[in-house]
Amino acid sequence: MIKVTIDGREVELENPVTVLEAAKQAGVIIPTLCYFEGLTPFGGCRLCLVEVEKLPRLQTSCTIMTADGMVVRTETDQIKAARRSILEFLLINHPLDCPFCDKAGECDLQDLVALYGPEAGRFAEGKRRHPESFDDPIIVRNMERCVLCTRCVRMCDGPQGAYAISVTGRGSHSFVEPFSGGKYNCEYCGNCLTVCPVGAIMSRLHRHSYRPWFVEKEIETVCGFCGVGCSMVLQMRENSIIRAIPRAGVGFNKGLLCVRGRFGYENVESEEQLTTPLMKVDGDLKPVSWEEAITFITESLKEIKDAFGGKAIGAVASGRCTNEDNYMLQKFIRFVLGSNNIDSSARNYYAPAEAYLERIFGQGITANLISGIANSDGVFVVGGDPTAINPILGLQIRASCRGGGKIIALGAPGGLKRFVAYELMPTPYSEEIILSAIVGRLLKGKALSGENTTVEAKLRSLKIPSDEDLGMTGISSEDIVRASDDLAGMATPVVVIGPDIIQRERASKNLARIFLLSERPNYQGVMDMGCLPDFLPGGRPVELEMFRHQIEGALGLKAPQDKGLTLFEMINEAETGGLKALYVMGENPLFNIPDSAKVKKALGNLDLLVVQDVHLTETSGIADVVLPATAWPEKEGTFTNLERRVQRVRKARRGRMASYGRDDWKIIADIAERFGMTKQYLRVEDVWEEITHVSALHTGLGYEDIAEGKAVWPYCGKPLRGMEGDFSVEGLDGLPRIRGSKKPYLMIERSLYHSGTFSRRSKALLSIYPEPYLMINPLLSERLGLAEGEKARISNERGVLELKVKLNEDVSDSQVFLSNTFEGAGAMGLIGFGIDSVIGSLYIKDNTVRVEKVRV
Amino acid sequence: MDIFEEIRALSEKYPDRRGALLHALYVAQKDAGWLSQEALNTVSNALNLPQATVKGVATFYSMYKHRPMGRHLIQLCTNVACMIMGAESLVDFLKGKYGVEPGGTTGDGRFSLVIMECIGACDRAPAMLVDTDFHSDLTEDNIVEIIEEYK
Ligand code: SF4
Ligand code: SF4
Ligand code: SF4
Ligand code: FES
Ligand code: FES
Repeated sequence: MIKVTIDGREVELENPVTVLEAAKQAGVIIPTLCYFEGLTPFGGCRLCLVEVEKLPRLQTSCTIMTADGMVVRTETDQIKAARRSILEFLLINHPLDCPFCDKAGECDLQDLVALYGPEAGRFAEGKRRHPESFDDPIIVRNMERCVLCTRCVRMCDGPQGAYAISVTGRGSHSFVEPFSGGKYNCEYCGNCLTVCPVGAIMSRLHRHSYRPWFVEKEIETVCGFCGVGCSMVLQMRENSIIRAIPRAGVGFNKGLLCVRGRFGYENVESEEQLTTPLMKVDGDLKPVSWEEAITFITESLKEIKDAFGGKAIGAVASGRCTNEDNYMLQKFIRFVLGSNNIDSSARNYYAPAEAYLERIFGQGITANLISGIANSDGVFVVGGDPTAINPILGLQIRASCRGGGKIIALGAPGGLKRFVAYELMPTPYSEEIILSAIVGRLLKGKALSGENTTVEAKLRSLKIPSDEDLGMTGISSEDIVRASDDLAGMATPVVVIGPDIIQRERASKNLARIFLLSERPNYQGVMDMGCLPDFLPGGRPVELEMFRHQIEGALGLKAPQDKGLTLFEMINEAETGGLKALYVMGENPLFNIPDSAKVKKALGNLDLLVVQDVHLTETSGIADVVLPATAWPEKEGTFTNLERRVQRVRKARRGRMASYGRDDWKIIADIAERFGMTKQYLRVEDVWEEITHVSALHTGLGYEDIAEGKAVWPYCGKPLRGMEGDFSVEGLDGLPRIRGSKKPYLMIERSLYHSGTFSRRSKALLSIYPEPYLMINPLLSERLGLAEGEKARISNERGVLELKVKLNEDVSDSQVFLSNTFEGAGAMGLIGFGIDSVIGSLYIKDNTVRVEKVRV
Repeated sequence: MDIFEEIRALSEKYPDRRGALLHALYVAQKDAGWLSQEALNTVSNALNLPQATVKGVATFYSMYKHRPMGRHLIQLCTNVACMIMGAESLVDFLKGKYGVEPGGTTGDGRFSLVIMECIGACDRAPAMLVDTDFHSDLTEDNIVEIIEEYK
């Protein structure tokens, strides 16, 4: 026990901490400038000076550790004089342009000078000049204001791990700069902006558009961009979002955000937001009233149901909508219209991968806490770059590395490049062979634990690839041995699985905590709400009578007993005429699932296509009825993130025209009422209340519990355990064939700066990544005679696209990468798909393209 | 051996890549006499260190140059001892003779002149370095003689 006296107050400490932290515990506030919680101490600004008895000079409290019996004083005349002089020195070069500075009002320097003086400086030499830099689209850099606290650099090199900026030069010629000296070309997380105590680096988005005291209200909500679900605060003035900022101490993202969360909010203020229902009249979408639109939908659905039965109707749920929205859609389709045909783009990989893992290991296998990754001693990353898909989760992997954890990547490491011990780069489509080989070797070295025999039996039926099988993968058996031994040596391993891995993912529960990367904020919720053709809310299989009856009993409504069609099966059925109507909520299938030509034909074949969305999209362009929905910061409800934490989403602004966009769940409830649904929902709480009665997972989980952050798996509900025996897992005994191709494979670039089609309306994100490009390896570009910036034509039987070339050494030379974001240039369109017979997921078949130079 | 390879090879001798950075920057500066963005980039790639970190270190030390330099670098000390012994008039003399300002380069690209702080040769002041060669006891006469050796 350490006893310290600070300003006469005694503190007892278990472990030695800095004097600054001890003072905080004692309730004594010591002024600081270069200190920032969570960053490595620097001791550079000297403002936190304190007197320590028996030590000759004043000490920096942010670096000096407490020792037993220490007596500290924090506000003596000597200290005050020192602080005053330090500030006077800082002001020598500070422009004091406060009236013009966006930071004024929340500037640490301003506050400190107000506290300690000096009222005037004594230096007459003139200030250093350094013109403000507007070279970057996002960050304005004003180095005249910089106090060289290095908080930004320590943030960028520390928690963010982007290493994008540095202090350059020396003495009074020191400035903080990105490598280029102008544009940042960094990860644009903006976390350096959070920590800058002055107005030296500021966001350009809201430059001179507010003063900090203009903020009228602050809404604590979660980010709507990806499955991490970071907590953030939307600062509002009237109905506009002034800024999106993280709040230290709130949420597991600990005061960090990524570029999408921090800067992507503008898209919700986009001019293109739908404001009125539209209906197709003579081939064109014309504005109509809500009443007209809803009557039309109701009548058409009734006709179709009467003529062909519920089975002819399907629905697409949305990973961008709340649990309440998805639940209501599911209820309507399944229990009102009598169809189990409900699915979502989670079908692309998230849903089948999770279902597969749960079949082997039981429900909840992927529900692990993101914050735990940093403490693990090893991470195996498969099939995607977490720092781009789920950035804040990616930061945890970087943190694990910094703490000595070993990071191994199967596939290109992307943003983990500086952090991986090594990566395995197999030839395309051979990842599964590599994984089987690794699991095979791990099992060989392990005795049966007897703990979970079903699981082990299943894993033991895996076909282990021979050396000959490995030969085609480009990975040697020594590499396999090394990777397996490294994995076996980890005490607290983590496995992170991304969308690019072939869906037959295998891993052992005894082996690791598993994380599934999720591109949308609420894929997990989509599934837990039963927006799956084979599962009811709470992840209860539709085909098991006991569960179905329970839920039917709770609702007083019936659901069909056979499982419905998956998203891809619905497309196939629409194409052949078996599916007549599709209700699409917050999704853009024409762009977001492969083979747009086929999807377009299929959707065109429907008798009724209803699209409910925030903006006009490719899909709503061909719909019969389009309904305007509210966007993420305009609604109340909940999201379930990839660690299966349920979090509250809060309404920050009303729609541009408050009476237009309506909440997704409300629109659907309105239509369901016309079909005779008697239950009335006044508020979104009523929907949640029903969910907690219907879904066994969510029993007893109130909004209050969620607000308090208690909604962490397994909540207070009942996950399905011991399900392993109920399902057989097929396909473990074969290995995929590697399809060699001379032509390169077209892969989807999952960019940090974009998030599907949602972000293409964000001015800020567009200013970083404004137009589509084709990313290729320099070796391949040389073979094709293409240089950076030149135009390439890519083509296959599904279509042709022309794009600028961007070189990247870190991608394989047998693949080319294109995002699926920009209108008219989505990668999905050229990718052919098949449906995996075992787990019903999409698998990519034939995504080779011809790449040639466009001659001008 | 190109610069990249050379840096790779030298980094083997250091316990970690960061430790090799100053040495690597010298190597990168050797040919052109200064460090362009591309040269910094090569160092960053060869050592697998972040570009910004490399730049931060390279700009901290005055022996690394960030503008094109003449073929030869004259580093003349004007610190106290040298100043007393007439270094400042040598600066004026070089300016008159070769048209080169401190920090500047002659029109023909032959010399760059840099003013140095004490180089530890106060007993033989004024002193200078031309490239890596040391010269002392300078006067207006012998400085021309010395400099004319460098073409
Ligand atoms: S925005 Fe993020 S990545 Fe860019 S310099 Fe700031 S902290 Fe570094
Ligand atoms: S830019 Fe801001 S955070 Fe960075 S060193 Fe300067 S004052 Fe500190
Ligand atoms: S990591 Fe995901 S949830 Fe967090 S700020 Fe970024 S996009 Fe939003
Ligand atoms: S806060 Fe302690 S030295 Fe800056
Ligand atoms: S002052 Fe010139 S060498 Fe010492």
